[in-house]
Amino acid sequence: MTPDALFSLAGTLALPGWAILIFAPRRWPALNAVPAVVLPLVLSAGYTLLILAYFAGAGGDFSLIAGVRQLFMDDYVLVAGWVHYLAFDMIVGALAAGLMDRAGIGRIVQAFVLGTVFLFGPLGYLLARSLVGALGPMGLLARTFQPQEG
Amino acid sequence: MMSLSISAARPDPFLTLTAAAAVLLALAVGWSAVDHRMVGDAQVWVKPAKFALSFIVHFATLALIMRVLSPEWREGRALGLTAGVMATAFLGEMAYIFVQAAQAQPSHFYVSDGFHSIMYRLMGFGAVLLILGPLVVAWAAVSDRAAALGPATRAGIGWGAAASFVLTMITAGTMGARLSHFVGNPPPGAPTLPFFGWSAAVGDLRPAHFVALHALQVLPLAGLLLDRAGLGAGAVRWVALGWGALSLGLYAQALMGLPLIRL
Repeated sequence: MTPDALFSLAGTLALPGWAILIFAPRRWPALNAVPAVVLPLVLSAGYTLLILAYFAGAGGDFSLIAGVRQLFMDDYVLVAGWVHYLAFDMIVGALAAGLMDRAGIGRIVQAFVLGTVFLFGPLGYLLARSLVGALGPMGLLARTFQPQEG
Repeated sequence: MMSLSISAARPDPFLTLTAAAAVLLALAVGWSAVDHRMVGDAQVWVKPAKFALSFIVHFATLALIMRVLSPEWREGRALGLTAGVMATAFLGEMAYIFVQAAQAQPSHFYVSDGFHSIMYRLMGFGAVLLILGPLVVAWAAVSDRAAALGPATRAGIGWGAAASFVLTMITAGTMGARLSHFVGNPPPGAPTLPFFGWSAAVGDLRPAHFVALHALQVLPLAGLLLDRAGLGAGAVRWVALGWGALSLGLYAQALMGLPLIRL
């Protein structure tokens, strides 16, 4: 397969996972497992095969930017890097969804945070963690407000 | 299990939105450390920060009103739907404001091409939803006889949401129709008021918009003070009248091309 074909195949695999995370109900564990486990495993397997077959031949390493740039000059290694993003972002997305579920955050707010994980992984993770973290002190503040009896 | 007991306590949706606005404010302030690009006369992160701050106040007000409602109203379908609609409008609006700011482009009044014109119109629609929401919450506060509210506070919430909606439609609607918050053209580097950024050289509709929007806080607070002082709820409507006159006075001042304070 050409790097282009692999690239679109990986994207096609990732999309249903994100659709489930963002839109699907959370009451079926088997469905939740698709983005949390199944698709990250499939993507990880694909990544592994690409790295085993093409990493050594690309002639770079992780020690300097120049080495990493050399690695990514090879389109197969570049696709492997992209699949790495796809796999890990989805794991983080599932993790963030679980965190927000447990904090009782509604699905509309979750959809925006998960959309951010999808597009800009770490920024979305930062938003999810901060939002869950901010809810505690917010609740405390709200409870200090004493309603006046009418 | 610990996690299950936490999930049982579902936070009030407006509290979640207050927290979300606080997170976005922190994000914008953090952004200020690394990005010094400008949009017009302001740094790119200023507008996201101002909107996030404004939404903290907006949603915290609604969260506080929710706390005094009886469970039937608080957990009812009308307020849940209202929170959902407001969440969509708020996060959609903030997402666009952040994306535009990251590209060092304006978000409001920016109709450079088809996409941005549609987004600007959608933002206008979202903004209307965001000031309609408090009307539903206020309607609940006025209707819920079991709400823990003094009579003047209850009246203040009702008048506050109504005044805020009507006055904001007038002031912000004018800005939207004119495609600018200025009346007149401030030269580059013209003086602005500290913190707010309102023009101190030409007419600026934003002070009137600010006063209009914050009727939602001022009138309930006035009601709270009247209740504490043991005065009747009737006085709230006079405060509402005065606050409305202030907003419309600032509106007229801006339309005449006069700045709030000339510096």
